Amino acid sequence: MTILGEFALWIALPVAAWGMALGFMGGRTQRGDLVLSAERGIYAVFFLLILASLGVGAAFLGDKFEYWYVASYSNRELELFYKITGLWAGQRGSLLFWALILAFFSSVCVFQNRDKNREFMPYVAGVLQGVLLFFIVVLLFAEVNPFERLAFTPVNGQGLNPQLQNYWMTIHPPTLYLGFTSFTIPFAFAVAALLNGRLDARWIQLTRRWILTSWLFLSVGIIFGMRWAYEELGWGGYWFWDPVENASLLPWLTATAFLHSIQIQESRGMLRVWNMSLVLMTFLLTIFATFLTRSGLIESVHSFAQELKIAYIFLGFMGTILAGCIVLILYRLPKLQSENRIESFLSRESAFLFNNLMLLGFAFAVFWGTIFPLVAEWVTGEKISVGPPFFEKVNFPIGLVLLALAGIGPVIAWRRATKRNLRKNFIIPISVLLAVGTTLWFSGARHPLALVTWSICAFVLTIIGIEFWKGTRARARIEGEGYALAFMHLVARNRRRWGGYIVHVAMVMIYFAFAGAAYNVDERFHMLPGDVVEVTSPFGHTYSLTYEGLTVSLGKGDRNLLWQAIAAVSVQQNGKQKPLMTTEKRMYVTGDLPMTEVAIRSTIREDLYLILSALDDMEGAVNADANAQGIDLQVLIKPFVGWIWFGGLMLAIGTFVALWPSVDRRRVALEARSDAAAEPAMAGAAD
Amino acid sequence: MNKNGRFMVGLVGVAAVVTYLIWTGVSQTMVYYLTPVELMARVEADPTFHEVGVKVSGQVIKGSYARVQGELLHTFLVMDLVDESVTFPVEWRDALPDTFTDEVEVVLEGRMGADGVFEATTMLTKCGSRYEASPEDLAG
Amino acid sequence: MTLFIGASLVALAVVLFILQPVVKGLHASLERDEFELTDTEARKRVALLALRDVEYDFLAEKLDEHDYRSLKAELTAEALAALEADEQAQSGAGADEDELEAEIAAIRAGLGAGSVCDACGFSNEVGSRFCASCGQAVAAEAAG
Repeated sequence: MTILGEFALWIALPVAAWGMALGFMGGRTQRGDLVLSAERGIYAVFFLLILASLGVGAAFLGDKFEYWYVASYSNRELELFYKITGLWAGQRGSLLFWALILAFFSSVCVFQNRDKNREFMPYVAGVLQGVLLFFIVVLLFAEVNPFERLAFTPVNGQGLNPQLQNYWMTIHPPTLYLGFTSFTIPFAFAVAALLNGRLDARWIQLTRRWILTSWLFLSVGIIFGMRWAYEELGWGGYWFWDPVENASLLPWLTATAFLHSIQIQESRGMLRVWNMSLVLMTFLLTIFATFLTRSGLIESVHSFAQELKIAYIFLGFMGTILAGCIVLILYRLPKLQSENRIESFLSRESAFLFNNLMLLGFAFAVFWGTIFPLVAEWVTGEKISVGPPFFEKVNFPIGLVLLALAGIGPVIAWRRATKRNLRKNFIIPISVLLAVGTTLWFSGARHPLALVTWSICAFVLTIIGIEFWKGTRARARIEGEGYALAFMHLVARNRRRWGGYIVHVAMVMIYFAFAGAAYNVDERFHMLPGDVVEVTSPFGHTYSLTYEGLTVSLGKGDRNLLWQAIAAVSVQQNGKQKPLMTTEKRMYVTGDLPMTEVAIRSTIREDLYLILSALDDMEGAVNADANAQGIDLQVLIKPFVGWIWFGGLMLAIGTFVALWPSVDRRRVALEARSDAAAEPAMAGAAD
Repeated sequence: MNKNGRFMVGLVGVAAVVTYLIWTGVSQTMVYYLTPVELMARVEADPTFHEVGVKVSGQVIKGSYARVQGELLHTFLVMDLVDESVTFPVEWRDALPDTFTDEVEVVLEGRMGADGVFEATTMLTKCGSRYEASPEDLAG
Repeated sequence: MTLFIGASLVALAVVLFILQPVVKGLHASLERDEFELTDTEARKRVALLALRDVEYDFLAEKLDEHDYRSLKAELTAEALAALEADEQAQSGAGADEDELEAEIAAIRAGLGAGSVCDACGFSNEVGSRFCASCGQAVAAEAAG
């Protein structure tokens, strides 16, 4: 099977090249047979990449250590789950995995559009095949072939780093890849539109749904990554402004900008060059993200070892795409420009523009902070490092402005807002903002950043709450419905808008949680069995933590596990008994020092986070020496962290609502033909 | 058009503010990223270098790690990756990261004290698995 | 041996699958779907959507009457233009003011009828206090 997989990868090379050539030729010459061949080529590449991936999987499952990749990331004792997911455990396999997912989305795209958007599909197929071809070429020729064999067969493999043996870590790359690769589709449509000149209103609809879907995947992927870091890295942190983290944020920011500014193009026909550029840039940034991770050019806990060959290849690819995009846009500039202008500073258009500026500014700061060390070294020869202090300093103000805009945007009127409009709609929210701010101040919560953030959160929530309330009430009155029903119909009638509001609420929750970090508690104790320590939460209550003792189990659990030393800590909150918490050290066969598993107790208000930092006497503890039970315990209290994950869920819900398809246009058109009712125009316009 | 002019001004204004933020952000928060060799050279050349925060990357010397009992204090020696004769001692007053091993590559941020001991405030260890093992390693 | 056969089969299947269209002259359609949204139709929808949003916003008391009327006048003109453009694109004929009114009436019907003036029978918009036709005071009712 593995050899078949390798063979399949080689066949995919000419197929992708053929598909790319025929896609573009077919589009140019308007020959449907060439186009059909190119589209079939996409299905073929997907099939071949499936075979290749199955081949790698079979190598893992069969413990075929003659393959370098399998030997490096697996061993005989590895749990089945991690053998199956070994495909994306390392650089080479994850490249194949990227190509596989890209091929999947490409096939979905081609299938979905077999009867529609036919003017675009030749070039779309060509572009998709081109990107696929790039990845296949890299796999085969850049010394990152997962099928590379050693000159001998090792008896056993090296095994998987224990830190990667974790559910979240396994899910994290796939969800991110789903996000990254799916941005290739709208990119393909954008290029196709530039090539065939169809830059009109249809392009908006096409692109928007795909970008929203990709955005959903990417958002979920990023949040999963944060959750993994929080649980597994054992520091209680969830974001480190690590270059690879930053790189995943960049396309997210530009895609968010697009989702807003596209509404201006839709209603006023403006910003077409801008929106087109955003789509192209987003795709480029996804390639940049994978480039950064793989080239190891920038120091990162994530990065693979420095591989210059790959770095140059990716740089060349990105450069070519960038140049091509610029040429295409310049070529179509006449068709893209519009006569409309923004009428007033105080208008929703203006707010959206401002939102875009802030998002791009944020992205630019992140980008610059990430590559600055590289540039500085290249220019001055000196090595410098730019860390979290930089990102926080620059991004916090921008982030707060964005949050405020999330409240201002929904309410300020299109075209021009009058003073009356502003007074009417902002007086309550601003009062709430001031009230909340003052209340916080007087109740002792005076950390400036947190205070401002929470006040603005209240501001945005008030606005969105009022929007929902007014809309529901209006509808209930008109239709004579109950409020619950009215609410559901209200949302269903304009899914994009209300889905968007739900996403804004989700962002409020996330900002709310971020601000809680201002009140983090961090204390360290040395404890012997029976010792009790007290830690006070910023909310006023006190935890009494009793170290009950150490339990050591040998060789149980995961097959790669040597031993586990489990520290039990019983918890009392203001005297009331709470569930027992355990934090442990685990020693794996493949590790040198033990790994830490933390204990987290999440409530709405805060997370209680316990870390078994160190065993006084590891040897003694494992040998059940009664005198070797001392530990170092680190206790963290993290206010509101749970709201990040809950916000992530809300974000997914809101996006689903916005994406939910409305009336099928065809059915509508057919009905409209049979009975010239005016209703379909309404229903159809609800998209 | 007047409106357009005002918009351009606004746009440029925002861009200027962001640029300013980034500029001061970098200059105020950046730290030199040195090798032990460079660090020692700077310390010798400039006595006030003890005040400056720096980032150093090197490798922990096998067998140099010690834990001071009863205190949250770890000590170890770090050597230059290229010139292994250049070393300096490090004091670390926090929990050890899980990936800390006997010969791990570390990136430390902190200050070189007047006594020649480096007080580290942050420590990053290279994530072991990402190292692509050579075939020789596998043969072992 | 089986591997060799398997690999050859895969290669053959793929090649046949891809080459068949060219060899046999099978064509994928490159024509626009008749149900696909044209540019003018899309603009029309957007204009009508904007109009509907304005009605909704007014009913939800986000706009006061003055803003509502001025915005509505503007959007109506644009919707008319969009409608006309669409009509022309589709059939070559010009659009009717009546047609636009019909569209707007349909929107309003979707939103709920306003109050009928006692004096002259004119159907006013929701929330109107004075009849738009004869100027008499009108009881502001919710939809019946």
